[in-house]
Amino acid sequence: MSEKITFKELVELIAEQSKQSQNAANSFIHELVQIIESGLKKSGSVSISGFGKFELRWMNERAGVHPQTGEEITIPGQNKVVFKPYKALREEVNKPFANLKSRLIRENIPGASAPLPEPAPDDVSVEEKDPKDVPFGVPGIEKSSKKNLPPIDELLIERDKPTSAAAMESALPEEDKAAATVPAMVPTQAKVVKEVQESGGFKWTYAAAVVIALAAFIILFYLMQRTTNGGETLTTSDQQTEQQVLTPLVPAIEPEGEEPATETEGPPDDGIPDSEESPPPAETEAAQDDAPAVQTEFETETLTVEAGQSLWTIAQTELGNPYLWPLLYHLNGDIMANPNQLPAAADLEIPQISDPEALNSFEREQVAHGYFSLYEWTAENNPDEARYFLWAVGVFSPEMLDTPPSEVDPDDLAFARNR
Amino acid sequence: MNYNDLIERLSDRTGQSKVKTKEILGDALDVLTEQLTNGKGVSIPELGTFSTKMNDQKKVYNPHYEAYIIVPQKRVVDFTPAAGLKEKVKFLEQDNE
Repeated sequence: MSEKITFKELVELIAEQSKQSQNAANSFIHELVQIIESGLKKSGSVSISGFGKFELRWMNERAGVHPQTGEEITIPGQNKVVFKPYKALREEVNKPFANLKSRLIRENIPGASAPLPEPAPDDVSVEEKDPKDVPFGVPGIEKSSKKNLPPIDELLIERDKPTSAAAMESALPEEDKAAATVPAMVPTQAKVVKEVQESGGFKWTYAAAVVIALAAFIILFYLMQRTTNGGETLTTSDQQTEQQVLTPLVPAIEPEGEEPATETEGPPDDGIPDSEESPPPAETEAAQDDAPAVQTEFETETLTVEAGQSLWTIAQTELGNPYLWPLLYHLNGDIMANPNQLPAAADLEIPQISDPEALNSFEREQVAHGYFSLYEWTAENNPDEARYFLWAVGVFSPEMLDTPPSEVDPDDLAFARNR
Repeated sequence: MNYNDLIERLSDRTGQSKVKTKEILGDALDVLTEQLTNGKGVSIPELGTFSTKMNDQKKVYNPHYEAYIIVPQKRVVDFTPAAGLKEKVKFLEQDNE
């Protein structure tokens, strides 16, 4: 059990904190306890704001066994005192573990399952080294993580198709922390994604996640090469310089530096992250790795506009990057037609983005949509300026320039492509 | 009994202003919270013992995603009422809040 401090120590600390005598602090606590007690007697609950709530809960009578004699008795109904900590206290107490996130376990899709191969022997040994890390299930029955890599080309083709599997994987409670996102798995591929998490502890979830992240990086790399080879005007190097030039405007379009690194890291099977001795690296990997969740919508919070605020300042404070403000415009298009006029006291939907420095593909796409909405609005009201917004669309999502959601002026398009 | 009632009665009993009472109560709870955050438990006579415990990670079914989710381990507050308090309220007739 955890260590304890004595009541005397507590009183001393409180006296110190509130700058009063220990006697006063002591009697204060006693009064508090008596009031809580009388409050419980009188109304059955005592709520202390910012801390928690004491409550009486009625337990119905039930059958039991006398602990000494072993005879069966009926335990009469009685009140129980329960304490329910409020959110602030819960979060405070859980702080050391707050970085741990829930993760989704993908199950086999019935009817499409492939037999699971036996794990490689070295996998087993790694697994069994630390059985404490494997609270669920039997160690060593999950499949080799290599299986999690669907063929790259298939993914490239399939990624744009909306599928039920995509919906299933979408929008986990956990946020995408990385720029890299693994494209949605279509059902035929989902069969190979019997997740290691199912019986694995942390190490296995990390391992699988790392593998998926590696795959995502490689895919992105190929994708980039493909677009450049595919008759685009930009060469790869041009594109890179382009992106470097843009970095002040566009947060981390592509973590360029990381791609060579991922390729030299060797076969994915080696990507088993270090065990607990080095938690920070493991965490970064985990962070990249919430990637399998393909987002389809944002978790949003509502914010009421105050005097003096603009979309720009809100994007700066809420999203961490003022250049993401078109995202707010896009999400709140129903309450504001003119992007330059923010209605007073309006309730804005503020999307919860994971990291303004490294947007995932869904977030980038949404920002691009935002810039596109701006382009449409500006094209009607101030045609000369509109092309800059179209260019920004291309910065966040080059694909969208190829298939614009609606009609665009060819001159603007050429400008956006060649700038 | 809500927070305002509590402050009111507390300030009646201690003879201090409500504002002051609020401050002291806040300080006291801050100290308590800090101890719990550091993983230390505290027994308060006639009320009970506050301590923390670890909840293991667990696997739960989320019907929305139609999938299982691993909820990570977390540390939670554990409160055990004092025996005296327990007995006093045990067979109390309770109407409602």
